[in-house]
Amino acid sequence: MTDKERIEAIQQKAKRDSYQLALLSFIGVFGFLIAWQAAVLAGWLPSRYVPMPTQIIKLFFVKITDPTPDGAVLGVHILGSLQVVLTGFLLAIIIGIPLGLLMGWYRGFDRFMSPIFEILRPIPPVSWIPITIIWMGVGLKAKGFIVFFSAFVPCVINAYTGIRQTSQVLIDFSKTCGASNFEIFYKIGIPSSMVMTFAGIRVALGNSWATLVAAEMLAASVGLGFMIQQDRMFARPDIIILGIVVIGAIGVFLTFILKKVENKVLKWRLTQ
Amino acid sequence: MDSQKIKLELENISQSYIVDNKVTDAVIDISFSVKDSEFLVILGPGRCGKTVLLNMIAGLEKPVSGRILLNGEEIKGSDRRIGMVFQKLALMPWKTVMGNVEFGLKIQGKDKKTRQEISQKFINLVGLQGFEKSYPHQLSGGMKQRVGIARAYASSPEILLMDEPFGQLDAQTRYAMQNEILRIWETEKRTIIFVTNNIEEALYLADRIILLSKFPAHVKEIYEINLPRPRDTMDPEFLKLRKIISENTDLAL
Amino acid sequence: MNKPVIVQSEAERRAKNIRRAYAILPVISLSLLTALWFYASSSKGSNFPSPLDIWNRYLLFLEKPIRGLSLLGHIWASLKRVFIALGVAWLIGISFGILIGWNKKANALFGPIFTAIRSVPPLAWVPLVTMWFGTGEFPQILIVFIGAIMPVVVNTQVGISNVYQIYLNVGKIFNASPKQVLFEIAIPSALDAIFAGLRTSTSAGWMVVLAAEMLGGKSGVGFLITRGMDSGDYALCLLSMICIGLVGAFLAIATITLERIICPWTVKKSS
Repeated sequence: MTDKERIEAIQQKAKRDSYQLALLSFIGVFGFLIAWQAAVLAGWLPSRYVPMPTQIIKLFFVKITDPTPDGAVLGVHILGSLQVVLTGFLLAIIIGIPLGLLMGWYRGFDRFMSPIFEILRPIPPVSWIPITIIWMGVGLKAKGFIVFFSAFVPCVINAYTGIRQTSQVLIDFSKTCGASNFEIFYKIGIPSSMVMTFAGIRVALGNSWATLVAAEMLAASVGLGFMIQQDRMFARPDIIILGIVVIGAIGVFLTFILKKVENKVLKWRLTQ
Repeated sequence: MDSQKIKLELENISQSYIVDNKVTDAVIDISFSVKDSEFLVILGPGRCGKTVLLNMIAGLEKPVSGRILLNGEEIKGSDRRIGMVFQKLALMPWKTVMGNVEFGLKIQGKDKKTRQEISQKFINLVGLQGFEKSYPHQLSGGMKQRVGIARAYASSPEILLMDEPFGQLDAQTRYAMQNEILRIWETEKRTIIFVTNNIEEALYLADRIILLSKFPAHVKEIYEINLPRPRDTMDPEFLKLRKIISENTDLAL
Repeated sequence: MNKPVIVQSEAERRAKNIRRAYAILPVISLSLLTALWFYASSSKGSNFPSPLDIWNRYLLFLEKPIRGLSLLGHIWASLKRVFIALGVAWLIGISFGILIGWNKKANALFGPIFTAIRSVPPLAWVPLVTMWFGTGEFPQILIVFIGAIMPVVVNTQVGISNVYQIYLNVGKIFNASPKQVLFEIAIPSALDAIFAGLRTSTSAGWMVVLAAEMLGGKSGVGFLITRGMDSGDYALCLLSMICIGLVGAFLAIATITLERIICPWTVKKSS
């Protein structure tokens, strides 16, 4: 075989393989949906409790304009949730990452903050909800604080771990160049910690979204978590499932955007 | 006068890879034969393709053209009669020394008693008796390589391939291991194909040296080394050969 | 002969003093925190319980069980749910993770659905699960199971699909069959990734069980919190929170110890 033929043969094979895998994924997803639809139609799953995929799709378009029975249209719920989660998440990054970086670098600061931190860390964010409600009442402030806290912890921990991992060789080298401690912190420590820090941000995003849903279920008047909780009261499994799908979709969307930002900032990283 | 049997034969072996939709040659038309029970050294500058060559003999890669014949028959893919000792850590960290050495036998399906007996023999041969229950992370670099050698020997291969096995060791350990491998080879004679980029090591160990060019590799020269063992690195004959080979070696910058 | 006198240089003395100063800092911060707590609970109009209130509540609890269970009883109720859910989640999760990590076709077939389900926070399932199965033990365990199985599958999959090529080469040299490669090489080498998944799933499971109980349970530490909240018994809330933190820390330590026992070859650096 000539070289050209070899290259073409390999390319063809790669294309065929990826088509095959894509087909399998397609079958996986659609097979699941079709099996679901069929099960409800055939009566194997009770239609009172389990709506069909087609019903849910129809409902999506209805709910965009219909505020019953939970008090608001879909768009309002989505916005309500997004508002809170983004505020809490961004605040957590702005406060948490510098805190973690400083704690990782300056030993005195670390000794001061870590006992407090170690005590607060094992307490799951969800159990802070009642305390926060006692303290701040029911409302935006409480929800925001809980979301903030659940995102705050991983940001701090990962920034801390990330900067602690800074290569000692680089630090020593900078010292021989005459850099001050702060300069080394700023120019070497912080960039070195970026990979771990971003991993922490990813976890923080997942945490905030999950905690928000929980917080809304416990104490809110609008938002996706509230929506699905309410609809349990009203025995509307179709809206619940719609809500679940929307929650999942938004979660994926936010993660996707974060990934794009991460790839841009960490362009120099070796990709596997 | 060459009355020795030919163990392994490489006929016109070539390898190339497709990188960024372009064909890059790695090994070009290599042919040589390996005699039974000889210590053959393949010497080449860094990154010239010697590992690729060894991988093809081991069956880890398929050559783009050419044939490999073991005892006169063509072999395809990895053959149990060819064993390999790797350079970088290929010991399984989750297994003890005994567990690692008996690995090949376990794959072959031998029962526990037989496995342990055979493995113990080779653990003793490489001088690691007493360490059967240790884990790799508890061993030094030289000891780890000895486990690798014992593991390769344990499944009774006819040919042993060694891919720069002492490359990661410090100088003292390296010299000690060179003597070790010669002692092991004298005790349990097998055909050994040993790859290195170090001229002294090659001259110290080899019956014959195959000198490869720089990347992409082809055979530059084959040297017969008839010095008696143990060899003296300060011997004028040794140094003369060293000069000849060194001048013939391509630099790999 | 006189014993040699050790003289310290200026720099060494300075370093020692700085270290001494550092050692006091944690004490300062904790004292500040406690002082803040006392202040917050004693200022006018505050219904925030003081540490003394909490201690008293604890003693009261010892005398009067809530809903028939002592404090330890509630803790055990929560733990039981977590253990059952974790047991099943680990079994199914590791098996499924190995399947989709090892077999590309299985990954293509099942991967997308799994990723979709994974993107939904476990608690979002609560309304649906409670609508279908009520508020008994099973739905709560089910929700914990959903929350716990995700990290196990993800970590296992990553571990199995990223076996070092050199180990696979060793398998090839010895002519190992694919099944042998999976069980003798891939799975052992993935064990530390699998354990990372188990550790994450333990803390995730603990978090989810509390939330599930808060949303509709009749026993357990999460239930205690909601009970305290509803009846204005804030000391109970805080007491429960402290217990939650302690048990959470204990679970984390237990999982790490489990890993050390099963994988004696891992030399772990402390985080």
